[in-house]
Amino acid sequence: MKKTSHLMAALLAAVAISAPATLARAADPIKVGIIWPLTGNAAAAGQASKAAIEVALDIINNKHPELGDLPLAATEGLPNAGGAKIVVEFTDHQGNPSTAQQLAVRLITQDKVHALFGAYHSSCSFTATAVSERYGIPFMVGESAAGNITGRGFKWTFRGTPIASDYAATYMRFFADMKKQGRKIETIAIVNENTDYGTSVAAAIEEEAKKNGISVAIKVPYSANSTDVAPQVLQLKEKNPDVAIFISYTADAILFMKTMRNLNYLPPMVIGDDTGFSDPSFIPGVSAVAQGVMNRSAWDIGKPGTTTYKINEMYKAKTGRDLDDTSARNMQSFFALADALNRAGSNDPEKIRAALVATDLKPNQLMMGYEGVKFDQTGQNVLAATYLIQLKGDAYQLVWPDRAAAAKVEWPMKGWK
Amino acid sequence: MSRNVKLGILGLAAILLLYPLLFSGAFALNVGSAVLLAAISASAWNIVGGYAGQISVGHGMFFGVGAYLPLLIYQITGLPPLAGVPVGIALSIILAIIIGLPAFRLRGHYFSMATIAVAELIRIFTGTWEYVGAAIGLQGPAVGRGWWDLTFRDETPYYYIFLGVLAVVLYVTYELQRSRFGSYLRAIKSDERAASSLGVSVRMTKLKALVLSAIFTSIAGSLYSIKTGFVDPESGFGILVSVQMVIIAALGGAGSLFGPLVGAIILVSLQTATNTWFGGGGSGLTYILYGGIIVLIARYEPGGLYEYWQRISPRLWRSRRAA
Repeated sequence: MKKTSHLMAALLAAVAISAPATLARAADPIKVGIIWPLTGNAAAAGQASKAAIEVALDIINNKHPELGDLPLAATEGLPNAGGAKIVVEFTDHQGNPSTAQQLAVRLITQDKVHALFGAYHSSCSFTATAVSERYGIPFMVGESAAGNITGRGFKWTFRGTPIASDYAATYMRFFADMKKQGRKIETIAIVNENTDYGTSVAAAIEEEAKKNGISVAIKVPYSANSTDVAPQVLQLKEKNPDVAIFISYTADAILFMKTMRNLNYLPPMVIGDDTGFSDPSFIPGVSAVAQGVMNRSAWDIGKPGTTTYKINEMYKAKTGRDLDDTSARNMQSFFALADALNRAGSNDPEKIRAALVATDLKPNQLMMGYEGVKFDQTGQNVLAATYLIQLKGDAYQLVWPDRAAAAKVEWPMKGWK
Repeated sequence: MSRNVKLGILGLAAILLLYPLLFSGAFALNVGSAVLLAAISASAWNIVGGYAGQISVGHGMFFGVGAYLPLLIYQITGLPPLAGVPVGIALSIILAIIIGLPAFRLRGHYFSMATIAVAELIRIFTGTWEYVGAAIGLQGPAVGRGWWDLTFRDETPYYYIFLGVLAVVLYVTYELQRSRFGSYLRAIKSDERAASSLGVSVRMTKLKALVLSAIFTSIAGSLYSIKTGFVDPESGFGILVSVQMVIIAALGGAGSLFGPLVGAIILVSLQTATNTWFGGGGSGLTYILYGGIIVLIARYEPGGLYEYWQRISPRLWRSRRAA
């Protein structure tokens, strides 16, 4: 009995101390459900993105006036929603589209989230967005690339990231620029791993190349599990394209670079489509033989003192690594969602949707190198774009477009020479 | 059938029928339908894998054909996905005959390996074939144009459709195990040579069992893709699809009528529960728990939980009567 009364007294005291805080406490938090692969073959990407969202939450929910024009950084919580904080619920779809669907149902009906976010794998984004469409809950696709995730006539699906066709268009603009400078780019080769990622990006590049009068000399689909890519490299050598574009995962990207060295074949330029070429193990693995290889990234750490540099420092303090392009694109999409949640000023799904439709973020409000964030009627961000970077020494440097470039494009690439 | 068994079946049926009333909420129903779907495909596998003892680890091929056809028909013709179900069944029957004729010359592990190889071939082939969506897969109507598209926002209709199909599969299996054909299957399972010497047409019997099993597996695939509204090579033909059927049947008790259902109830609930509790942390604890329980069962109850139940239930009855 006595014990209980002590306990009661302690509780009362605790309540008394925390009472002012309770009174000052703002509106109910806005809940966002996140569906990602936190285990399985894409776990590394999911975990890195999870850390990035945790940094984003810190920025949104706490005061960070040092982060310049980034929306919601300077204030605590969402000022328009009475200072409400955003809370997230992470879930793990394990790379399984049916699990992703089940999780979307759970987050909407059980956890009563106000918006959904995810789902990395395009297959999982397909099924999870269909659920949010049925229930009328906004879904922000953070970084899945398959073209037709938007454009299915969905009202509730939005996507902040650039997609395959944007990347393809970027490469073509870059080629046009290079041609003006007198480089010869008549034929390209497309080397792609043969699952949904590689297949869809390769198709988009081929289509854009056709539109721009650049001929695709050869398409080389391969399995990312291959332990020998010599036949593929020999195929390339035979066609001798002016540029070889690789859509690869990590181990295969490294294997291709090493095999090209062994067979002593180097095209004038190799462009890697992010992913494997951006993996932390790529540069230490092949920097000696892949000097001048190009890659795309919408993320650039920037100079000390810039907003992006400070965000990277926060991420580094948490994980010990630099922020990568995939996680950064997710983070940017999350900021765009948070901006809409703030403007909606409420947790009513219809209002959040209207705010998303009205989104208009300018380049200075972004952490990524997009032209802005603005959704068309399919929900796709039409201002998404990407930078091109080139490997010089032990790091990538931003080389295109000129307005953002930190160094000049070196053409042809040096490779191991 | 003894009175106890009948009572048990009635009880199980009552629980399954009333489940949506006991556990309201879309998520509970979604898990319920996932259990039933897993039970349908594992019960279908059970016909050839359990009763006939031919361990196929490539049943994903029938599941995938069943899953692809409804969405393919929808994408090409705009007809409701339901129209693709009979086409999927027909193709699965043809596939079963084509695969079964040569593969049943093989026995034991060699048969299992052959089924894996064929399923993997089909998976890789589908992944490069543009007409069926290649690696990107196919989608169904996201928002139904009418009830016939079977895209319900509510989970209840799916639950009862799945329950109905499961009832049919179990009824057919029940009749089958009582029939002469069922005795042939058991004879083949215990000793193929002996069965053959007694006049059982071994290859024909096995083939018939495979065809029957393929039909139901294909239906399970169709139900999956109609409900999910999406299929790609991995979720249709992937090796995990095949392995899951084997694990569920083995866990509950392969070669017993209710084994696969028991296995599905335990395994799917376990998967969902571990993922709900630990998935968000992303520590991989889900798999550790999930794998650990499978190892424990394999070590202590390799015959499956149904067998364990049969062993202990008479003792339980006796002790109750004694008390």
